[in-house]
Amino acid sequence: MANPLRFLVVDDFSTMRRIVRNLLKESGFSEADEAEDGVVALQKLRNSSFDFVVSDINMPNMNGFQLLAEIKKDEKLKHIPVLMVTAEARKEDIVLAAQQGAAGYIVKPFTKATLEDKLIHILKKTGLQ
Amino acid sequence: MEISDSTPGAGEAESTDVHHKIGQLTRQLHDTLRELGMAEKLRGSAEELPDAKSRLSYIAKLTGEAAEKVLNRVDQAKNQHDHIASETHRVKALMIQDPVAAVAKGHIMNFLTDMEQSSKEIDQHLTEIMMAQDFHDLTGQVIARVVNLATTIEDQLVGLLIQTAPPHTLVAKPAPTPSVDGHPVLQGPVVNPEGNPEVVTSQSEVDDLLASLGF
Repeated sequence: MANPLRFLVVDDFSTMRRIVRNLLKESGFSEADEAEDGVVALQKLRNSSFDFVVSDINMPNMNGFQLLAEIKKDEKLKHIPVLMVTAEARKEDIVLAAQQGAAGYIVKPFTKATLEDKLIHILKKTGLQ
Repeated sequence: MEISDSTPGAGEAESTDVHHKIGQLTRQLHDTLRELGMAEKLRGSAEELPDAKSRLSYIAKLTGEAAEKVLNRVDQAKNQHDHIASETHRVKALMIQDPVAAVAKGHIMNFLTDMEQSSKEIDQHLTEIMMAQDFHDLTGQVIARVVNLATTIEDQLVGLLIQTAPPHTLVAKPAPTPSVDGHPVLQGPVVNPEGNPEVVTSQSEVDDLLASLGF
């Protein structure tokens, strides 16, 4: 059965946005929109309603760290869990993401099972499921 | 062994002269670069070239693996498809021959169970084929860095040409807009993670690190 939660997938590569959206759909989350960078993502988050953000880090205009910081300092958005899905594999980036309030961190390339595990874990932890 | 002694010393003198001229040019270039402060910049770029080489090898590796993965999964999906086609043909013949017996003997039920399983397996193959396309994102980031290095070297060489060109040939060029970014410089995919304690090499390492931070 389809889950009504609404996702925003943020990545500068359209291929990756499509992959993540398809994986979400396969996992029962068919309500998803996408953004190519942090600026567009922030606009969409402020103009519409989302329950979950899956974001890349290395993006033009506004990267994932900057987007995460903007979300966490916005009273209306800070409750939204942000899962980072990125090729940045340095420990300092992972620690920084955790300190800034990321709900999870996945290093690319990843598997469908990894994404599903993290989603379920975060949804349970945040009470969204 | 006999060595030709025609025009003794002529070829040798010519060769020495060429070597001497090359040596002079090299020295002039070296001095010019040093005087213009370009030597350090070019040395910095040159040091990045082996990194660019390993990045290009990483791209070749990733695209090769993705192609291999896709072809293997397509082979497996095609085998499943052939199985479905032949089973459908076989059960159809049983139905035409004796529909009651086909149901009573369980041929239809077995066929449906088999189709359900085959369909699930084909779906897994399709998911894996989709996942294999993530190389586009990873290689795209690496290519961008190599292109950036090539652009830097090009800019430095152009700068050298401009600084050494006669004044009357110079055309004023607008200064590039400086980039402002107070955030950490992102590295993109790690192409050589082996033996590097600063990076993680698997999702389980990410999870362990986050767990150590209380996540």
